[in-house]
Amino acid sequence: MHSNKFAFKLFALLIVATFILSACATPATPTTAPVVTKAPVVPEVPATSGTSVKDIPQSLIDACKQEGMVTIIATPGWWANYQGIFDTFTSLTGAKLNSLNENAGSAEELEAIDANKGNTGPQAPDIVDVGYAYGPSGKADGYYQPYKVSTWDKIPDTLLGLPAKDPEGYWTGGYYGVMAFLTNLAVVQNPPKNWADLLKPEYKGQVALSGDPRTSNQAIQAVFAAGLANGGTLDNAQPGLDFFNQLNQAGNYVPVIAKPGTVSQGATPIVSEWDYLAFGDKDSFAENPPVEITYPSPTIASMYVQAISAYAPHPNCAKVWMEILHSDEGQLAWMKGYAHGVQQADLEERGLIPADLAAKLPASSAFSGAVAPTPEQLAAAKKLITEGWMNTVGVDLPTPVP
Amino acid sequence: MAAMKSRGKFLAWFVIILGMLYFFLPLLATFLFSLRAKLGVLSFKAYINVFHDPKFVGNFTYSILWATLTIVVGILLFVPTAYWVRLKVPKARTAIEFITMIPFVIPVIVFTFGLVRTYSQPPFLIVDSPALLVAAYTILSMPYMYRAVDIGLRSIDVRTLTEAAQSLGAGWGTILFQIIIPNIRVAILNGAFLSFAIVVGELVLASYLVKPAFAPYMATLMQNKAYEPAALAVISFALTWACMGIIQFIGRGGEQAQVGGGH
Amino acid sequence: MRDAPKARPARPQRSWAWLGVMPFFLFTFLFLLYPSSTIVINSFIDSETGKFTLQNILTLFKSPYILGAYKISIQISLITAVGGSLFGFLLAYAAIRGGLPRFVRISLLTFCGVASNFAGVPLAFAFIALLSPTGMLINWIKAFGYNPYFHGFTLYTNWGLSLVYMYFQFPLMVLIIAPAIDGLRREWQEASENLGASSAQYWRHVAFPILLPSLLGTTILLFGNAFGAIATAQALTGGQINLVTIVIGSELRGDVLGNRGVGYALALGMVVIMALAITGYTVLQRRTERWLR
Repeated sequence: MHSNKFAFKLFALLIVATFILSACATPATPTTAPVVTKAPVVPEVPATSGTSVKDIPQSLIDACKQEGMVTIIATPGWWANYQGIFDTFTSLTGAKLNSLNENAGSAEELEAIDANKGNTGPQAPDIVDVGYAYGPSGKADGYYQPYKVSTWDKIPDTLLGLPAKDPEGYWTGGYYGVMAFLTNLAVVQNPPKNWADLLKPEYKGQVALSGDPRTSNQAIQAVFAAGLANGGTLDNAQPGLDFFNQLNQAGNYVPVIAKPGTVSQGATPIVSEWDYLAFGDKDSFAENPPVEITYPSPTIASMYVQAISAYAPHPNCAKVWMEILHSDEGQLAWMKGYAHGVQQADLEERGLIPADLAAKLPASSAFSGAVAPTPEQLAAAKKLITEGWMNTVGVDLPTPVP
Repeated sequence: MAAMKSRGKFLAWFVIILGMLYFFLPLLATFLFSLRAKLGVLSFKAYINVFHDPKFVGNFTYSILWATLTIVVGILLFVPTAYWVRLKVPKARTAIEFITMIPFVIPVIVFTFGLVRTYSQPPFLIVDSPALLVAAYTILSMPYMYRAVDIGLRSIDVRTLTEAAQSLGAGWGTILFQIIIPNIRVAILNGAFLSFAIVVGELVLASYLVKPAFAPYMATLMQNKAYEPAALAVISFALTWACMGIIQFIGRGGEQAQVGGGH
Repeated sequence: MRDAPKARPARPQRSWAWLGVMPFFLFTFLFLLYPSSTIVINSFIDSETGKFTLQNILTLFKSPYILGAYKISIQISLITAVGGSLFGFLLAYAAIRGGLPRFVRISLLTFCGVASNFAGVPLAFAFIALLSPTGMLINWIKAFGYNPYFHGFTLYTNWGLSLVYMYFQFPLMVLIIAPAIDGLRREWQEASENLGASSAQYWRHVAFPILLPSLLGTTILLFGNAFGAIATAQALTGGQINLVTIVIGSELRGDVLGNRGVGYALALGMVVIMALAITGYTVLQRRTERWLR
């Protein structure tokens, strides 16, 4: 017994010593994004008017090499094939890719900028990828620094009826997604084609959202889109709430937040999510289970914008990053991830989209009716939905089961 | 008397089996689901995918290491404090108990960014250091560790033990490390289990302090893969069991050591 | 003649004793209280203008949706705390004092340690895999020709969530109360039997009063544990349930513009509720401990 206590004490002392020593020691090494061990992926693009990554000024790349790192946030590799962009960046600059909280929401990203204002370490984000509403609001709050990429003119002024870039360069639209349905065919043999279909009794307990409607951009847009189909407008999201009320009363709505696991398990066989995520899931499932993706009509599109942090510790790498995003290779990478790059029309015009990729992408006619809400409309909708959600779909403590 | 005892035993088994069923069935469901990675066939494909990912082992061991450090710091900080409060400063109890419950109600985002803001500027630039991470984890596991130790101390007669030891000439260090701690070994052990769970399961802090921990890795996997997260859950369950076994082994011999019962 | 001055206890003794808890206060100040002080500050700042305001706090009281969130959070926390305490205690007592073989105790404690690791999204998913309309257990029952979901059963209610919460409440209770049960000396039970007391009387007059302070302490811990939980609830019924933690998330972490000030005020509200809970608990504790002195 005595030796037992002694062993414990010794062990504890050793641990404490290690801790004390390491506390005085080196700063942490930043995490690197998964490194794919194959040849650098810089797709061959015919040299055109300075739109390839090869046209990025060498001085900028060298400055980035000096900085040695870029810190991104809320940007997983599987989201719209960001992995392609990761690979391009690392092969171009050799700098480390430091990825913070891949599952963060947009508000959190800005909070991270704010909290790290004086910090030049790897905890401070250089680049953010946020929902559209956070472009203007982040600029107003002073979180971004302006930078116009060299392909600035190739980015359309407006897309989906909204500005696709900030006139002063504080934020830039990168890609957009369109709301679609993903259906697990192993559970649901007759996939719904439109919002009205979701109310059918055959889909009892099967319709889910991919996020919490009070928090997630995706989920709120889904409610918005349902409203459009139900007589609402972008200024009035109430019909969307009413629709989900109907859905819930019919017993078709299942409140589980859909993930690939819950879709394949069968708990959420019908999900309303961004098309690029749906197509990504389809690839990931590889027919296990087989799924179908349909675009309801009307539907909503939503752009994601990127910006450089005003306090970025590695501004040159951030600039290289932005250049890549708006280069042909970057846009193609996103398109490989089934997202709709803002420069897609321009790439199509110049015939730069490979035939096999074009074949996999959905025809733009499928979602030609997609509309996008302005930040003000979105904020009003969020307020309405957040507060009304509990009255329409809310669960209160039921009377005790006998 | 014998009939009552055997009825008691029957009830005990009933409760235990009910509990075990409740714990076991969800695990079984997860396990069976994880075998469905290949269409139509039960296979371990998801497990193979998990093991092939180099981040898995690295992140898990990383988290285990920090969990261990957190447990040690927790013991060194909370045992003497709880002991002192019981013995000498009972008036401090309410304030201390309130503080130990605060980690429950502070949103983890507020806590994380609060730490980053405070410690990312000179002269307190320790945001990078492991010390901050361990301190933060100790705070997060504080409600559990403190409560475990407190109830452990409640279950032994602290005053008598102390007085007896003192009358034999023991100093505070000896009393704490050779009398008190061995007598609350079970409590400390159980608190250690809970701290381990908190640290290994902690998601947000590790991510923003740029540490390659396990939970953020698992969370990402859950977002974009169907079967691998279930496999990962089962694997980490098994690995955690092993860790618990090791912790048990290090701290064994507790349940017999009962020097005086009292509250 | 004047009386000799009464002997006074030496004052310095009390203040020296408080030194002993200074490390704790210092540590928690440095790493918890000070970094989290933004909760208090930002609750009083309007997130749009940056100026001092009481509006955030007032919103808490004016919005029925927010009040409802507090109500549901407290309800679920109370239910899972009390329920978790009860069954957790039964489990622990059965394993330790139920006359069962030694391995049951060790297995239960180890298993509880492991089970407490299972929380958040993986836990929610495990219960979905078990009890969703296509879940394992439901499929087994369906094999007998009966579909619970057609008869009103569903996992996705507050009760379902409470059921899932128990997965970390039970182990928590078992692990923490075990030493207290260990502390119940067998001799006391034998002595009470010798004096002619039945099992029930032993419980009511000996064991239960002794254990009550520890039971209270663990119950408040379970309450706090459930009160602050978010990940599990969000994953399981995130689309439908109104918990304060989820509302805070929607203001502070969401993808669509939230109101930071209200988010912080909500968190401040949680701190206040916790303080109230601790106060109530302390009052109860003092009463149950009175006779033990």
